[in-house]
Amino acid sequence: MTAIIEAQGLEKHYAGAVAVKNLSFSVTEGEFLSLLGASGSGKTTTLRMIAGLEHPTAGRILFHGRDITGVPAAQRNMRMVFQDFALFPNLSVWDNVAFGLRLRINRGRVTPEEIKARVGTYLETVQLSGHAEKLPHQLSGGQRQRVALARALVTDPPVVLFDEPLGSLDASMRKVMQIELKRLHRTLRKTFIYVTHDQEEAMGLSDRVAVLQDGELLQLAAPEEIYARPNSEAVARFIGTANILTGTLRVTNGDPTVELPGGERIRLLDSIGSGAAGRTVTVMIRGEQLKVGPAGAAVGEGLAARVAERLFLGDKVRYELELAGGGGVRLTALAAGGASRFVIGEAVALSVDPSHVRLIERPAVAAR
Amino acid sequence: MNAAVRMPWQERRQLLIWLVPPLLWFAVFMVIPYCLLFYYSLGSTEYMTFKPGFSLANLIRVFRTEPYLSVLLKSARIGALSALGATVLGYPVAFCLAFHTRTPRAKFLIYLLVIVPWWAAYLVKAYAWKTILGTDGLLNALLLELHVIREPLTLLLYNEFSVVLTLVYIFTPFAILSIYAQLERIPTSIIEAASNLGATPFETLLRIILPLSLPGVLAGAIITFALATGDFIAPALVGGPNAIMISNVVINLLGVAFDWPMAASIGIVVIGVGTALISVAQYFEHRSQARF
Repeated sequence: MTAIIEAQGLEKHYAGAVAVKNLSFSVTEGEFLSLLGASGSGKTTTLRMIAGLEHPTAGRILFHGRDITGVPAAQRNMRMVFQDFALFPNLSVWDNVAFGLRLRINRGRVTPEEIKARVGTYLETVQLSGHAEKLPHQLSGGQRQRVALARALVTDPPVVLFDEPLGSLDASMRKVMQIELKRLHRTLRKTFIYVTHDQEEAMGLSDRVAVLQDGELLQLAAPEEIYARPNSEAVARFIGTANILTGTLRVTNGDPTVELPGGERIRLLDSIGSGAAGRTVTVMIRGEQLKVGPAGAAVGEGLAARVAERLFLGDKVRYELELAGGGGVRLTALAAGGASRFVIGEAVALSVDPSHVRLIERPAVAAR
Repeated sequence: MNAAVRMPWQERRQLLIWLVPPLLWFAVFMVIPYCLLFYYSLGSTEYMTFKPGFSLANLIRVFRTEPYLSVLLKSARIGALSALGATVLGYPVAFCLAFHTRTPRAKFLIYLLVIVPWWAAYLVKAYAWKTILGTDGLLNALLLELHVIREPLTLLLYNEFSVVLTLVYIFTPFAILSIYAQLERIPTSIIEAASNLGATPFETLLRIILPLSLPGVLAGAIITFALATGDFIAPALVGGPNAIMISNVVINLLGVAFDWPMAASIGIVVIGVGTALISVAQYFEHRSQARF
């Protein structure tokens, strides 16, 4: 497992505003890495710096250990799939895909017969063989996306960069393309770096996800890890449905618990150091780990709550709950099964397996 | 279309009220003059006075009698050369304005520099070239001072070259703005995509930017060609006897020879040929327009 791309202390400033702050990470050869963040998080700027379309204010970019920070975009062997596809409107689908192969940079390396064969193959791969003579404006959004993909892949680059490539497609087309991308990554074994603001997309596609906020890297780990063990409140909030609770550490019957402002106690499995009792901590409980039961039925650890809002989502029901103990603590629970058993205003009892109560270690990044 | 036909009377009347001023303008300043022009072209002159008639003799004379046709062709040649010059000079400026001007302030400044000469009267600007190119002009003085030449050059002024030079100078802003408007439409991502695929700046220019900007180039060339071909100030000021253009001939026929039918006939031919040329160019302009 060697690093194909390494970012070292990358910074980008625009007229006083900081887009990317001291960003360091490495991308393993053949992996699918997502840069995930809200708009303005610096994810696209980072990608563009890797592509050479943006010059970093500080820091270095390495490719196979070689510094390529000063290498022009045209000489970096990385292909990018743009958000707006950026197809050449004056060229047919065929000529768009063949563009890279016909350039001087490939002269002598690829014969005309080879160009023909490769363009044909890749058009087939993206199922556009019948549209080779069309101009980009005659294609649908999904088809344009496929042309952009074929154009990027046909030159056989070791690294493919994606800048929110599915952003302009409708929901059903996105799902199709997501599966297509995953399949392509598996068969081509290239390094994919993928920028998205869609956490589900990032989780579903990637081997690893880098969560960015305000130009800073918050966490870089496998999707499962990020989901189960977010290292900060910001990451927890950004991904999935997270209940973030702040309380005081107590030790009850030898077990560590968190006491909420309303007096409720939630058990923890994480071991805490001695003397930690009395400290204020933040814990996270995923929405789907919070079990909603009828009031009074729960024993011991049940938290008394009231249903404030109920949303039927088909495969699950989303409950917005308010703890009865006062303190105004609100929780979100995702109940599977689709049966909306409880009505608004109804008293319920909440329970959670202590193994799913996560202590968030790093203090949350201060909100702007 | 049907909707327009079925429009309620009141709405139609309102629309009509709005349309009356432009229609009136169009009739008084366009339709009637064209009709008059055509009417005059069919007449003849007797002792310098106009005699109405119904003869195509004058129109035929445009093609048969010298120097009309040769002056017409020369005007077209000067117009074409001016259009070419304006395009070749204007393209880099438009390119710079569209792609290499980062801040809106710098963009505005260059834009202003392109437009500002139009605040000065055309006559003054054409005259300025006379003072630059003349035997006692700035250019000769400079070359003499630098000992590049011993005698002042006379071939700078009063020929086709000086006319084309002046016309190029006058009309280049039209080419710049027309090309710039087209270049502005090209999304930056397309240029980035080309470079991302490994294209050198020159390859990007040749394969992507030039083809995409062709409609703007053609539009600019049409405007500059039409304006330059019909120009009469530049040939009058810097043209000399050998660079007389068709407008000068028409003015002479009108004001000196009082041969209005002949002048009108030349006008009709110029308008006819011009319209045909522009239509062809416009056809190609539309055909080359890529859809983004």
